[in-house]
Amino acid sequence: MTVNDRETILQRLKAAASHPVPPRPLLPPLPEMALDADRLREVFVQRLTEQGGEVHPVANRAALLETLGRILADEQVVRAMAAADKVVAPLDLVSWGRQVGVEIVTPEAYPDRDGYARAVFDDVQAGITGADFAVAESGTLVLVHDTRQARLISLAPVLHIAVVPVDRIVPAYETAVTAIYADGRRPSQVTFITGPSMTADIQATPFKGMHGPQKVIVLLVG
Amino acid sequence: MKVTTAHFKATARVELGNARTQRFLQILPLRLSARRNAAYASFADPAAAHAYGQAIRGEGVARLPELLETFEANARANGARVFWAADSQAANAYIVDLARQKGVRYVTKGKSMITEELGLNEALAANGIIPWETDLGEFIAQLLERPPFHIVGPAINIPVEEIRDIFIARGVMATPTTDPVTLGRAARRFLRDKFRDLQMGITGVNIAVAETGTVINVENEGNIRFNKSSPRTLVCVMSLEKVVPGMADALHMLRVLCRSATGQAAGAYLSFDSGPQRQGEKDGPEELHIVILDNGRSAMVRDAHTREVLRCIRCGACLNACPVYGKVGGYPYGWAYSGPMGQVLTPALRGLSDTGDLIRACTLCHRCKTICPAGIDHPATLLYYRYKDVQMDPQFNGRGVSPLERLTYRAYGLIGSHPGLWRLLGRAARRVANRHRRNGAIQRIARWTDGWFSSRDLPLLPRDTFHDRWRQRQAATAGPDKYASPDAAPRRRKG
Ligand code: SF4
Repeated sequence: MTVNDRETILQRLKAAASHPVPPRPLLPPLPEMALDADRLREVFVQRLTEQGGEVHPVANRAALLETLGRILADEQVVRAMAAADKVVAPLDLVSWGRQVGVEIVTPEAYPDRDGYARAVFDDVQAGITGADFAVAESGTLVLVHDTRQARLISLAPVLHIAVVPVDRIVPAYETAVTAIYADGRRPSQVTFITGPSMTADIQATPFKGMHGPQKVIVLLVG
Repeated sequence: MKVTTAHFKATARVELGNARTQRFLQILPLRLSARRNAAYASFADPAAAHAYGQAIRGEGVARLPELLETFEANARANGARVFWAADSQAANAYIVDLARQKGVRYVTKGKSMITEELGLNEALAANGIIPWETDLGEFIAQLLERPPFHIVGPAINIPVEEIRDIFIARGVMATPTTDPVTLGRAARRFLRDKFRDLQMGITGVNIAVAETGTVINVENEGNIRFNKSSPRTLVCVMSLEKVVPGMADALHMLRVLCRSATGQAAGAYLSFDSGPQRQGEKDGPEELHIVILDNGRSAMVRDAHTREVLRCIRCGACLNACPVYGKVGGYPYGWAYSGPMGQVLTPALRGLSDTGDLIRACTLCHRCKTICPAGIDHPATLLYYRYKDVQMDPQFNGRGVSPLERLTYRAYGLIGSHPGLWRLLGRAARRVANRHRRNGAIQRIARWTDGWFSSRDLPLLPRDTFHDRWRQRQAATAGPDKYASPDAAPRRRKG
C-alpha cells in the first residue's frame, strides 16, 4: 500500500505564514430572486428552451399521460425506463404503458447491477424521471439521486423526459441546494441538468447527444 | 505526458506557419471571449460578481490547511476514502494499485488537467491497464498523442481527415467519413461500450466543498457523469487548492466558471458527489476515492506570489484574452497548462530551468489579469519569475543570465549613473547610428539588431538632445528667465 502523505502536506501548508482572508465585496442578489411565480415559470421555460430543451405544459394528469404517449410515439420509443421517484412513481407508468402499448420498465425489474446496466444502456430508448427542482436562473433541472432516483436513467438513454410539477420551479440554485442539504442530509449525488448533452470538440462543429441524451423534454405539470 | 516547455520558441514558430492553426486562432478565442462577456451580463452587477468570485478564491487559498481538514473530515463522514499524495509518483502508485486490486483491464477518464499533470495515462499503461479518455476532444488528442490545444477544445484544431484516419486505424469506426457529427457519433458508440461494462472511472474535480465534503464536476458531454455513475470504483483526483468553504461559495464559483469558460450560464451537467452510493441505490460507485494532490503546491504556498497562482479555477478565459496565445495556440506551452494560466502555473510547479521562454512570452498587456475570475495577477507574477530567474534563485531553479548580458547591464548601470559619461557616449552612439541612414531613416545597424528593425524604422537622431538645446537656449537668452522660477510670473488659469 502506498503511503498517505497527509501529515507532511498539512504541516507544510500550516508552516506557511498566514495571510489575511480577503473581505467579500457586496453581491447584489440575482435578478431572478425578485420574480413572482408566473414570471419564474416563463423565465425557466425560456432559458431551458434556449439551452436546447423542449417544454410541454400540461394541465393535469390526463393531459400529461396523453402528451407522454404522443412523445413516445413520435420518438419511436418501444421501451422506456421510468424512475421510482416521488413525481413519476404515483403515475404508475408501467400499467399505463401496458394499456397504450409501450413497454415501461423500472430499475427494480433488474435485481443485479449488470442486468440493470445492460437495460438502461441498450434496451431502452428513453428515460423518464421527475425533478426535485427546476431552477429559473439557467433553465436547469435538479435531480437528487437516491434509491428512488437512479443516476443512469437521465443519462444513458438517448431521450430524457422529465416530469416537473410547476411548484418545483425556484429562482436560483441556492434555494434548491439549501433544501437538499438541510439538516445534514448528504445525498450521494445531485445532478444539475441544463439541456441535452453536447460538444463542439471537432472543428468547433456543435452537436447534441455526445454521450448523454440528445433530447431533453420537460413535461411541465400544473 | 511529454514536457516540451523548453521548446516554446521552436514549437511557436511551427504553429505560426501552420495555416490551420492560424485560422482557428482567428476565430476561437474571439468567439469565446464574446460569449463570456455576453454571459457575464446576466449578473445583476457583473463587476461585483467578478470581484466576489475572486474573494472566494482568495479565501480558499488563505485558509487552505483548515479547509482541507474540514473537507476531509466531511468527505470521510460521507463514506469517501481520502488519500493525500505528495507528488505524482504517490498519486499514480495509489491509483495503479487500486486498479490492480480491483483487477480491472481498463479505466475511463473524464477530462482533467490534473491527471495530465500526473502523467497518469502513462503510469496506467505501463502497468498494463488501458486508460480511455472519454471527453471527445481528449479522446482524439489521446489517440493522436497530442497535448491539448485549448483547455475548452483540446483537439478543436485537428483536421477531420486526421481524425478519420486515426479512428479507422484504432478501430473506433469502420466506414471512413469526414463529417464531424458522424465522427462524434462513432466515438460515442465506441466509448459507450466502455461505460456500460466499466469497473473503474477516474475524474478530476472542479470544486471541493469543505462544509459538506462534496466534489463537483462541470461538463457538457455527459462523459463525467458516466464516469461517476457507471463503475463500482470511482477515483476523483483534486489538486489541493480546489477547496472552497461552503456550498454557497461553490454555487457562485460555478456561475463564474461556466460563464468564463464557455459563456454558458451553466454547463449541461454539474454533478455534486458526497460519498459513494448509499445502501439500496441502483448505480453509482461502491467506493469513492478522493486523491488530494500536492505535487509542489504546498511549496507554492510559502511564497506570497506563487500562492496567489493557486487561485486558478482552470476556466481558460485568460487563453482567449492573451495576444500571444492568440498567435501561437496551445502547443508551445508544452505541458498540461497553456496560455497565461500555464505561464504562471508551470514555472511554479516545475521550476524555471526549462520554462524561461514561457515567462518571457508575455507583452504585459494585462488582459488576462482583467478577465481572470480568480483574481490572479499574471503580469506581476511573470515579472517576479523573470526576476527570480535572473537572480538565480535556487528555490525556482533560476538560470541567471549569460556573462555577456551581465556585463552589458553592469556597463549600462555604470554609464547611467555617471552623467558626463552618459552624455559623451550618447553623442557617439547617435553619430554611429546616423551613419546608417537610408531614405531618411535608420533601417538597419548591424546584424544583431535586425530583430529590432524587422518591423520598424528609427527616425534620424538629432545631434543635440533636449537637455543640450535647453542649455543652449538659456545661454542665448541670458538674463533672468521668466519661466525659471514659479514666482517670477503668476500662472495663468484656464477658463
Ligand atoms: S488564470 Fe484565471 S483566467 Fe486563467 S484559467 Fe485560471 S482562473 Fe481562468
